[in-house]
Amino acid sequence: MNPLTRLFRRFAWPSRVLTLASLIGLALLFWPARALRSDNFVFYLPTTRSVIALEVIEQNKYLPLIPVLNVVGKVEALQEKRDSLKIWFGKTQIELRVDDKKVQVNKARLNLAQPVRRPKGQWLVPVDFLTTVLPRLTSETIEYQVGTNRIFIGDVKPISFTVRLDQTANGARVTVQFTDKVTIHTAASNGKWYLFLGTRPVEPLEQTFRFQDPYISEIRFDDQDGSPKLILTPAVGGLNFYPTLAEGGKILLADVLKPPPPAPQPPASEQPLTATAPPTVPPPAPGVEEVPGAQAEPPLPVVVLDAAHGGADVGAHGRDGVLEKDLVAQLVARVRAALLATRRYRVVLTRVGDVNLAFEQRETAANLHRPRAFLSFHAGNLGMVTPRVVVYSYQAPSPPTSADSQQPRQLLIPWTQVYRVHLEQSRQLAQALQEKFALLSQVATDKPHEAPVRGLRSIDAPAVAIEVGTLTPDVDSGALTDSNFQQQIANAVAAALEAWRGGTS
Amino acid sequence: MLILLAILAVGAFYLRVLTRRVFFQPAPEHGEEVARTRLSEAALQSATSPQQSATLYFPSFEQGVLREEKRSVAWAEADTDRMRQVLLALIEGSRQGYSRPLPTSTGIRAVFLAPDGTAFLDISNQAIPDVDPGIASECLVVYSIVNSLAANIPAVKKVKILVQGQEVDTLNGHADLSGYFVPDPARISLAP
Repeated sequence: MNPLTRLFRRFAWPSRVLTLASLIGLALLFWPARALRSDNFVFYLPTTRSVIALEVIEQNKYLPLIPVLNVVGKVEALQEKRDSLKIWFGKTQIELRVDDKKVQVNKARLNLAQPVRRPKGQWLVPVDFLTTVLPRLTSETIEYQVGTNRIFIGDVKPISFTVRLDQTANGARVTVQFTDKVTIHTAASNGKWYLFLGTRPVEPLEQTFRFQDPYISEIRFDDQDGSPKLILTPAVGGLNFYPTLAEGGKILLADVLKPPPPAPQPPASEQPLTATAPPTVPPPAPGVEEVPGAQAEPPLPVVVLDAAHGGADVGAHGRDGVLEKDLVAQLVARVRAALLATRRYRVVLTRVGDVNLAFEQRETAANLHRPRAFLSFHAGNLGMVTPRVVVYSYQAPSPPTSADSQQPRQLLIPWTQVYRVHLEQSRQLAQALQEKFALLSQVATDKPHEAPVRGLRSIDAPAVAIEVGTLTPDVDSGALTDSNFQQQIANAVAAALEAWRGGTS
Repeated sequence: MLILLAILAVGAFYLRVLTRRVFFQPAPEHGEEVARTRLSEAALQSATSPQQSATLYFPSFEQGVLREEKRSVAWAEADTDRMRQVLLALIEGSRQGYSRPLPTSTGIRAVFLAPDGTAFLDISNQAIPDVDPGIASECLVVYSIVNSLAANIPAVKKVKILVQGQEVDTLNGHADLSGYFVPDPARISLAP
C-alpha cells in the first residue's frame, strides 16, 4: 500500500464515520416522534397491583392491550392478521383493527375516543378502553377517575387524604388526615422528603398541593411505581423534617423546622437532615408566637368544589341516560381548571372519581382546609326551560326564633349549626354568582334561593349550591352536557369569586 | 285448505292479542301501595261532615314555586285524620295540572300531632326513590306537605318528616330532613 493511500485511510475513515453518525443523529432529531414520553399506569386489585408502562402518542395516553387484559383475566388465544387482532378472553371475543376506533366485543360494537395503534408490533389501546370496553370483560366493579393513572378493580377500598399546612414559630407543620390508618417510612433523596404510605391503595383528592410558604413549596402524591407515597419539596435547603403519626395512624404530623442556631458545643454533624424520631425541641403550638418569614406571601385561599352524588348514588338522570353524578363531575373539572387558571386559589375537590361519599366525609374534606368558599354542584328538575342555573344558600327548616337571637353568643357551635356563622357571606356569594350567571347568553337564571340543602349545613365557610337543569327523565340533557355551556358556567364562577372576593376583602 | 287458513287466521289474531297484552298493557304501579292508599282514602271519605274547602299546595317546577289549589273535602273529626286526608289528596295529585309532590307509591305509615303543634309524619321508604331528586324539586315537595298541612289544620305549627319510622338525613339526597319544618308562605305563588 502506498503511503498516500495509508494517509487517506488514516484520516478519511474516521471522518466518514463521524459524518455518518452526524447524519443519523440529525435524522433521529428531526424524525416525527410519536411516543413523546412514558409514564406508568397502576392497576390496583384486591390482593395485588400491577404497574404497566403507559405510552403517549400524539398527546393521547395508550396502554398495551395484552398486559392490561392479563391483569383483569387471562387471554386464552389470539389471532393476529396484518392489521387486525382477534382475542379470546374467557367467553368474550374481542376484535380490533389498527388505526380504527371501533372495537368489537362479542356482538357489540364499541367506539374508543382514539384509534387503536400498533407501533413496533405492540397493540396499544387508548386509556378510555378502561371505561368503554373493560367493564364488559369483567364482572368486578371498576373505579377509575378519568385523567388519573390508576384504576381500582374489584373490592378495593382506597384511602384518601387531605393536606393542611400551618406555620409554626420556627417552621411549618404539615397535617395529613387520612380516611383510614396508614403506616409510614421516610427517605430523603435529591433534596426532597419521601413518605411511603404502606401497602393500602390511595386515591388522592388532589395530586399536587402547591404552597407559597417559606418552608414547603410542594407536596405531591405519587404511586407510579405501585408504592403510594407523598413527596415533600422544601422551599429552601437545610431544613429538618420530623414526621410522626397520630390518632393511631390516621393523622400524619410532619414538622419542617429551621435548624437551631449554632450552639457553642454540639457538633453540626449531629443535626439530622432527615429524621424519623420526634424533635428534640417540641414545636410550640401554632399561632402562639410571631410568624416567621413575614416578608413571605400568604398561602393562596382554598376553594372547595363538591361534585354531588357518586358511585351507586347516581342522582338525577336525563332522558338520554346522562347521570347527575357524571354531569356535575364534568362541571367541577371545568370550574377547577378555570379557578386554577386565575392563579389566585388552591382548589380542593371533595370527590375524585366515581365514589359515593357521605355528607360527613365531604364536610371533613372541606372544613380541614378552612376554605374561603365552598361550592356544591347539582343537577335536577328546574322546569322545561333548559339550560337554567339556580344558586342556593342554606336555609334552616325552622328559622331562628327571637329567643334564639337573645341567647348569649355560644363559645362552641354544633356542627349542625355551623352554617349560621357564614350565613350572610353565603348569601353574598350566592348573589355574586347569580349576577355573573345572569350575564350568560342563552342560559336562564333566577334570583338566589335559600333552601335547606343538606350538603351546605355543616360547612364552616361561605357555602352555596349551584343547581343546573333540567335533568329529568322527560328531557334530553344535551344543553347541559354542551361544552360551551359548561365552560360558560366555569368562567362565570371564576369571575363571581373574583368579584365577591373583592367585595369582601 | 280452508280449515288451515282459518286456523292460521285465529292463531294470528291470538298472537296479536297476546303481544298487546305483553308489550303494551301498562304494568300496575306498585299495586299494593295504590290499593292501600285508595283504601285509606275511601275510609276517610266516609266522614259524614258536610263538604268544606281545603287548600292544597302543589309544586310547579317550571316556576320553582308552590301553586294553590282549592278543593271540597268532607273533613274528618280528628286532626290526625285530617292530616291523612291532606296527604292523600297530595298523593292523588293536582286536578289543575300541577306536579304531584308525592308518588302514588307513597305509604303513610303513621301521623301524630304533639300538643306543642309538631306534626310527625312517617312515610314509607318505597316512595323515596320515586321522588324527583334535586334541590328545587325536593324542597318543593317538602314545603308542599308542610304548607298544605298547616293551611288546613290550624293546630299544626311545624312538621317533622320521618321515613320508615326513622329520622333521615335527606328526602332523596338533597333536602335536609333533620329539622322541624315551619310553613314557608314565601314559596307560594298566587300569580297565574
